[in-house]
Amino acid sequence: MRFPLYPSLLTLVWCLVSPLAVFAQGGLKDIPDPSVDAELASFKLPPGMKVNLFASDPMISKPVQMNWDAAGRLWLVSSPMYPMIAPGQKEDDQVLVLEDADGDGTADKATSFAGGLNVPTAVVPGDGGAYVANSTEILFLKDTDGDGRADLRQVVLSGFGTEDTHHLIHTFRFGPEGMLWFNQSIYIHSHVETPYGVRRLLGGGMWHFRPETRRLEVFMKGLVNPWGHVFDHWGQSFMSDGAGFQGMHFVFPRSVFMTSPGATRILAGMNPGQPKHCSLEMPSGRHVPEDWVGTLIAPDFRGNRINRFRLAESGSQYTSTQVEDVIASTHRAFRPIDVKMGPDGAIYVADWYNPIIQHGEVDFRDERRDHVHGRIWRLSFEGRPLVERPKIVGQPVEGLLALLDAPEEWTRHFARQELRLRGAEAVMPALEKRVTELPAGAPDRAHQLLDAIWTAQGVNQFPAAWVRELAASTDHRARAAALRAVYYEPDRLGADDAFAMAERAVKDPHPQVRLWGVSLLAQLDHPDTVKAALACLDQERDEYLDFALWSLCREHAARWIPAVEKGNNPFGSVGALLFAVRSTDRPLATDVILSSLDTGEISEAAAGDVATWLAKAGDAGHLARLLAWANDDGRSPAAMRAVFTALADAAKLRRIIPSEGAESILKRLSQPGLDTETYQLAAQLSGEWKLEAARAPLEQVLLAADKDEARARAAMAGLVAMGGPGGAFFDRTATDHASSLRVRSLAVVGRTSQAPNAGAKIAIAVLQDMTDGKDPFGVFDTFLRSKAGPEALRQALQGVKLPREIALTGMKKAGTAPGKPEALVEALRIAGDVQPMKAQLTPEELVAMVGRIAKQGNAARGESVFRRAQLQCTVCHAIGGSGPLIGPDLVSIGASAPVDYLIESLLEPGKKIKEGYHTTVVTLKNGNAYAGSLVREDAAEAVVRDAAGVEQRIPKTDIASLQISPVSLMPPGLTAALREDEFVDLVRFLSELGKEGPFKVAPTAFVRSWQVLESNDRFFDATWHAGAGAFAVAEKQDVWRPVWSRVAGDLLMEDLPDVRSRRGNWGGIRFTLDASKSANIRLKVTAPAEWQLFRGNDELGLPKEGPGEVAVSLTKGSQVFVLGGPKQGGGHVQVELIGAEGVTVK
Amino acid sequence: MIPALHRVCRRSLILAALSLIPGNPQRVMAETPPVPPFTLQKGDLVTLVGETFVEREYTFGQLETALTLAAGDKAPGLRFRNLGWSGDSVFGDARSYFGPPQEGFDRLMKTLGDLQPTVLVFCYGTVPVISEGQPWTEVPDLAARLGDPEAGLAVFLEGYERLVLAAKAASGSGIREIVLVSPPPLERVAPPLPDLTGHNVRLAVYRDAIRDLAKKHGWRFADLFDAMGGGKTPVQESTPLTDDGIHFGQAGYALAGSALVKSLGLAVPTRAGTEAPVEALRQAVVKKNRLFFHRWRPANETYLFLFRKHEQGQNAKEMPMFDPLIAAEEEKVAALAATALERLKQP
Repeated sequence: MRFPLYPSLLTLVWCLVSPLAVFAQGGLKDIPDPSVDAELASFKLPPGMKVNLFASDPMISKPVQMNWDAAGRLWLVSSPMYPMIAPGQKEDDQVLVLEDADGDGTADKATSFAGGLNVPTAVVPGDGGAYVANSTEILFLKDTDGDGRADLRQVVLSGFGTEDTHHLIHTFRFGPEGMLWFNQSIYIHSHVETPYGVRRLLGGGMWHFRPETRRLEVFMKGLVNPWGHVFDHWGQSFMSDGAGFQGMHFVFPRSVFMTSPGATRILAGMNPGQPKHCSLEMPSGRHVPEDWVGTLIAPDFRGNRINRFRLAESGSQYTSTQVEDVIASTHRAFRPIDVKMGPDGAIYVADWYNPIIQHGEVDFRDERRDHVHGRIWRLSFEGRPLVERPKIVGQPVEGLLALLDAPEEWTRHFARQELRLRGAEAVMPALEKRVTELPAGAPDRAHQLLDAIWTAQGVNQFPAAWVRELAASTDHRARAAALRAVYYEPDRLGADDAFAMAERAVKDPHPQVRLWGVSLLAQLDHPDTVKAALACLDQERDEYLDFALWSLCREHAARWIPAVEKGNNPFGSVGALLFAVRSTDRPLATDVILSSLDTGEISEAAAGDVATWLAKAGDAGHLARLLAWANDDGRSPAAMRAVFTALADAAKLRRIIPSEGAESILKRLSQPGLDTETYQLAAQLSGEWKLEAARAPLEQVLLAADKDEARARAAMAGLVAMGGPGGAFFDRTATDHASSLRVRSLAVVGRTSQAPNAGAKIAIAVLQDMTDGKDPFGVFDTFLRSKAGPEALRQALQGVKLPREIALTGMKKAGTAPGKPEALVEALRIAGDVQPMKAQLTPEELVAMVGRIAKQGNAARGESVFRRAQLQCTVCHAIGGSGPLIGPDLVSIGASAPVDYLIESLLEPGKKIKEGYHTTVVTLKNGNAYAGSLVREDAAEAVVRDAAGVEQRIPKTDIASLQISPVSLMPPGLTAALREDEFVDLVRFLSELGKEGPFKVAPTAFVRSWQVLESNDRFFDATWHAGAGAFAVAEKQDVWRPVWSRVAGDLLMEDLPDVRSRRGNWGGIRFTLDASKSANIRLKVTAPAEWQLFRGNDELGLPKEGPGEVAVSLTKGSQVFVLGGPKQGGGHVQVELIGAEGVTVK
Repeated sequence: MIPALHRVCRRSLILAALSLIPGNPQRVMAETPPVPPFTLQKGDLVTLVGETFVEREYTFGQLETALTLAAGDKAPGLRFRNLGWSGDSVFGDARSYFGPPQEGFDRLMKTLGDLQPTVLVFCYGTVPVISEGQPWTEVPDLAARLGDPEAGLAVFLEGYERLVLAAKAASGSGIREIVLVSPPPLERVAPPLPDLTGHNVRLAVYRDAIRDLAKKHGWRFADLFDAMGGGKTPVQESTPLTDDGIHFGQAGYALAGSALVKSLGLAVPTRAGTEAPVEALRQAVVKKNRLFFHRWRPANETYLFLFRKHEQGQNAKEMPMFDPLIAAEEEKVAALAATALERLKQP
């Protein structure tokens, strides 16, 4: 036993902690078999792959990160102490070094290089020793006397945060240029003193550090748990995210991703909805199959598997497509958390081995937490010879340089690392000779030159001539790599030369090079960096390039704003000026820009850009000019809408209305044939601008809600915004029983928004009519949002009865409302005669429930419970990206969370809350409040996504406080309506998610996001004439609502609403494909007999029976596909995309 | 006020008169009233607050060991608490987690309130000097002023004054001494490490300003900058003081320990650095410091005390369980200090 004090103390701790821990100690039996054989038997491998054990406990335990050294030894940090030190525990986590002396693929020796560490999270050998992440600090450890143990211990950097030990600095990796790269995650706040100044990084991000100069800089920011980082063959950086659900990320300097504190703009990853990943590796060399080279492999530690992704260039960015898994396991404790190519060309996997993955949701001292096991697995391929392990240590410089031509990145990397140790004096003459002797026209010359540049940088030299040559290469990847080499140390090329190189790069024909050109400009002190970068606008730019330009305009604002303030346009074109001023959110050069809109020098297509900027930055006069321009009858509907939207934002967020001409909007309210969206905006503006003349027309439209609900809702919102003497109309309408429930509900919402007490008086009768439990107009939400609302409704409920279903709906909504109005929940419970629900189980009941779930639970039945509309699971949760973003994606919840955790989370959602899903409560100065997840927050507004998925934009000037609240967005009592057997099935289903088997989301590119068609009268006959073609013709009255595939990737007939037709009940569904470029793909369609497939209005032939493949040519952009047919035959619908890289389902 | 003022005036007059007498030893004290020498006394609790220089000391224990030996046997029960934090500013930047710097500032005040120290020792100034021209604090309205060196110094001094006054108020009535220690000089290092000569010139400016601030309030000032050579150290030698010019190693902290003692006017035990009992004492100090680090700045605070405490806050009950461990180690420190002092008294 390593910690003699530990067990007794733990017993003491357990006596004091929660019932769950006691219960866990009390004998939960789901601890998997820890034997190596059990784990070996659990692996599922692709054909031709084999797995062997490289090292295991007791030789190693709890590996957290591993890295090779040039001698082919595997270094790892081992942390039995995680999640944190216990009082009395000795700090003694270790750095272990594994050796496979005979090269048989099994470690035969482990040496403890260092002990005495405090939850170390990374190690990389280098510079003659090893760098180790040790909580707040990075240590350099060195063995100076050759006994295999470190005797020199130096703190290299300190000041890293420890707010969460699974977010501590991690993922050490030497870059090809000889710098140490490492990451930190969401909760960490770091403050590090360097000779170049203090460096701070709040939240997630990636650092780079050059040991010999001690220069430390931030490279990118954000991501929830940016756990993996790998350089591709040309030195581009890719990252994974252990908690972020956007799969693979391409990152570049100053790029900012989700959750970075204070970010006003963020970029998205390449695989929205993908499981969470740790570590990242890119296979290379002769042993792995050819089509594995250059792909990304990333462990999904929650799902007990390792995923693989194929990258493709796309503009300045990349696309990433998931392909078949590297390895998967049915063993719950298989936790692949690091993966590295080895010296023999095989793939090595660090298996942290733990049935419990982290400590946010499961008690630090939970007995099921494993502190002793750990494995390294080795994956190799049958019939493919292993690579002879290269001899690097002791090799003369010339021999090392020759290794730079090896096909294995492992060999090239460690040759460069060894050369780094030899120093510039020894390396540079031979390196120069090598470059001189490179054949001029050789196909690999560009990359050989790049390798030489990296090698030189590794010994802290800067070979300017080679960099210049590379920057002029015909290969865009080489040109981009040259810019990156300059990026770190532009002064070494010479400030003017670096500027000239960047200036050329932003005009490069390839967007990847332009992105690096802008990135390099951001590093330079030159006064004209922004002007130079804006030359990018002459060519197409994608999101990443746009971001880089935007970021540069802001960072270097002091270099160009003074000129603009003097009335000059330092950039030449008005388009460039518009881009720059928009990036600042300040009212600069407004006259020039508005005049250019009038003259057409700024196109109609850019009107939205002008309008959104002035809505944030402009004054009433600017808005009047915008309105006059947009409300011209000759204006395109798109331009008009763009400006109206911005004007509505200005009114709502800044309370600014046009200084003149506001009443000109009225003509839109009565314009025949106006599209719905424009009408909605006009109604909103009429209300926000208090145009009394709009009242009567808006009231008429509200009363016609049964004909056009969308407009009626807009009219109601307009009337609410207008305020004034409108109460009588709402009262009259809500109590007129000749009106439909729809009309009356809208009137209640309107009245309640104005005056909750008055609204409560008319609300009860309307709620009593909502017998199906649906509250589609948000009557409850309206009460819950206002300060006085809950109490007003509670009083009105005294002594009245409500249908049980609507009472339950109200209780669920109140459960996640700001301030949790308990009294209202109780009043609703009594009014609806809802029995108090059992929200807590005793430890004994919990044990019994876990047993029942294991014995009796049926996951397939559970999935249909999960998908039941009334349970509302699918209103918030996605599974593998198919579904909404409100709650956490549940794709691998079963593989990562113990069953008792799932039970507790369902019964008491507030007890465990996932990172990023905390409720933020925004309280307004008038006492009203919004609760939801904070989407973003800048100087002007806070945006909160509420439990209904609606983004609420709240002006900063109205906000009294904004607080993270220990309340889950998931309402309590969701499962109250379930029978126990249904609850058991539901938990069983959740517990299977992500485990090997039918409830693991396959990487197959199924369509998972659809819209289903609701019935309406026109189909009764139309299907008779046109078959499912009737669904393909879009009509205004058609209502489509979103639905998501089952885990298996299909939809059942029960998922589709009955569309009533003369020929019985039909079903209609549609999906939208979005192509980043034109592509020829195939759709593999499974659908019941007689079903038809349409693209737009054109039918694509399907075979009579069974799955059929249809070839489709996609053009760049979106295209809609419709499927439909009779439901009575049963069956299911599934569509798989084949050969569809770069195509996404919208 | 008036009688007191009267007394002071009268004493000043006497001193002034004395100073007129040629050769009178009182002459040097003519400007100010006599200040009793700095002492560490029985039961003193000394907090060390500052940036990386203070934080890393907790793993070396040299400053504490030197002060403990300098206090001799006149201060039984003397204890130290290292509250240094890498990258901190006088506004509390590094001490804040999810909030603005003020959150970190408040955290420090809360800690001081809990500890109730009797001697406050501060050492700030390295961060603004090495970050000159850069926004070294994220306090929003201040960041804009930091581009100009003079304005930057003013921002620092305003913040420092506010920090010390607030710390004094937060620490309770037991405060006996407040000491501002000047930042240590940076070491001249060879390329490719950067030339830090300019930083040392600025450090001297900061040192002067900090001395004036201390004087204004009657706080102690310890000129560590001067006592460690004032930036006139030669290029790194075979036993360098620092690893990178700015961060001290074992040798650097050993020098800093004796320099601090000297700059406080305490007696330096001349053989201290070489004696085995002194090394045992230092190791016990480090061990105590590590325990205290886990106590006051634990990992996983998000779960223990912050917005996820409703999930794992039950584990926070482990934190006070460090207290008896710290106390036990402190007893060892006291015993080893006595042994070391005994040893040093021997010829």
